[in-house]
Amino acid sequence: MSTLPISTRTWRPGLSPLKAAMRASPKAAIGGAIVLMLVLIAIFAPYIAPNDPLEQDLLSPLLPPAWAADGMAQFPLGTDSLGRCVLSRLIFGTRIALWVGLCAATGAMLAGCVLALIAAYFGGRVDRAIGYLVDLWMSFPPVVLSLILMVGLGTGVGNVILSIILVDWTRFCRVVRAEALKIRRNDYVTAARLMGFGHLRVILREMLPGLVPLILTLFSLQIGIAIIVEAILSFVGLSVPADVVAWGVMIADARSTMQEAIWTLIAPVVGIVFTVFGFNLLSDGLRRALDPRQRARN
Amino acid sequence: MLAALVSHFTRRLMVAVPTMLALSIVVFIVLRLLPADPLGMMLPPNATNAEVEALRHTMGLDRSLLVQYGIWLGQVLQGDLGRSISSGVPVTQLIAHTLPATLELSFVALFLALLISVPGGLLLYVLHDRRGELVADAALVLLISIPGFLWGIFLMLGFGVYWPVLPFSGRFSSDVVAAGPTGFVLVDFLLRGQFGHWLDALSHLILPATALALGFSPLIVRVLRASLLEVSHEQYVTVARLRGQPEWRVILRHMLRNAFLPTLTLIGVQFGFLFGGTLLIEMIFSFPGLGNMMVQAVRNHDLPLIQGISLVFCAVILLINASVDCLYAVIDPRLRTS
Repeated sequence: MSTLPISTRTWRPGLSPLKAAMRASPKAAIGGAIVLMLVLIAIFAPYIAPNDPLEQDLLSPLLPPAWAADGMAQFPLGTDSLGRCVLSRLIFGTRIALWVGLCAATGAMLAGCVLALIAAYFGGRVDRAIGYLVDLWMSFPPVVLSLILMVGLGTGVGNVILSIILVDWTRFCRVVRAEALKIRRNDYVTAARLMGFGHLRVILREMLPGLVPLILTLFSLQIGIAIIVEAILSFVGLSVPADVVAWGVMIADARSTMQEAIWTLIAPVVGIVFTVFGFNLLSDGLRRALDPRQRARN
Repeated sequence: MLAALVSHFTRRLMVAVPTMLALSIVVFIVLRLLPADPLGMMLPPNATNAEVEALRHTMGLDRSLLVQYGIWLGQVLQGDLGRSISSGVPVTQLIAHTLPATLELSFVALFLALLISVPGGLLLYVLHDRRGELVADAALVLLISIPGFLWGIFLMLGFGVYWPVLPFSGRFSSDVVAAGPTGFVLVDFLLRGQFGHWLDALSHLILPATALALGFSPLIVRVLRASLLEVSHEQYVTVARLRGQPEWRVILRHMLRNAFLPTLTLIGVQFGFLFGGTLLIEMIFSFPGLGNMMVQAVRNHDLPLIQGISLVFCAVILLINASVDCLYAVIDPRLRTS
């Protein structure tokens, strides 16, 4: 869906969809292409990776990349301190990054949007209570809160996802609530209520559709944030068990050997930055392409 | 004016008290979910069940959660955050030793972030609707995608290992002794006239502070550009142009000052981001601050220490938010009369 042409200009027949997307929003198109590529890598990881990411070859630790003088063709990006293939670990790391990013962003989106819609629709005391909760939550530095949660919940992929949801639902709630309040004031919402539609129907059928562009933008942004948080938690050693391949773990492992084997550090760093860049680019492009105010300027 | 400011500040702090209480409840409850028994750390592995029970009782861990919270809150109000389980030292003492280091690091980082982002925001504004915009825009998104702790690793590799020009471990060299009235080494060494030591401490701060600043400034740049674009349609900007003022003067004198207000809000709201970022940066640079101690405490499951540090983190952020609010009144004359 990422390469769908979100056209802000008139549709010109004869233009291929790809070119149309590039024209409408080059950032969203490039970001979408990066994301699509990463998803494919994650799905087909076992077929792409040259080696088993967990298999240790203790006879050849810290091998340089294949193009260096004493590199081996079997390990294109060299090996880490336990003789594991860096490229294979990089490829398999995509899986955990995308999985955590997707699940955490979906969870944060659902929790944040439900509370935001309830706050904006019912207003008054409900709104104040939810607003207070958001303010309270945001007085925690995000890193500190997720660390405390990981201590409380214990390590594991599921708990990483849960802790990111519990930290980041506020971002959705705050931004979506502000926008939902604007939509709430529209006449068509009042009309729907006067026609006697139920609360749920007014929220879902009248208010939600207008919020979809904003939610999509935040969703893409949140995936990037979740991937960084997961890397941070892995780096501190609080995220995943040792037999799970994650980029943060690779960085933490590489720190001790970075003076003699810089490539073991560069690979996961590039992986994280590239992935987050893709999602941020997509989010930024979507924001511009879907914002009616920007549309008027074009 | 000053009296009004002080009363505004105190009112803001009063509002922060219930927030602080609620935060302490959250921290307390979350940490009680802990699957591992904190007593496991304190007793030798061959301790008998009776010994475990005795310790549990002396620590109050066998009472209900509410009572435990009540006891803990009572002690906190008397300035007692308990003792660290792993070292046995009072938590308040540990925090008092490390908090100045972290605050110093954060403020130097904030200063550097402003130094980077104000010119950056101006540059992006000037590039608006020009050919370079798309590239500059993509570059900004790329910079936003690099978290501070990765900058820390880059800087450490670049300026510490490959081109060793700056120290990258600790707060000052091992032969320097810090003993000052404030705990902020940059202030202490200046007060005592030890300029050599001052330079030493500063050089230790540069890499970690730059890493924090680089992680933070793209956010400021983005808001600054957006608010510059917004004020560029204001009447006073047109008037200034019509008076024949050169464009740089219009931007610096008239637009930047107004565009800075939303930026200040962002800095206030996102200060927690910067302050929390010290956690990993301090760990990477072995900087003896609050964040580094927090990571250690988390690894040791040192509950009293984790609780104490979390509360201090929150308190600092609430304080900063209140201060930013008051800064508004100083910067924006329109807010002064009310």
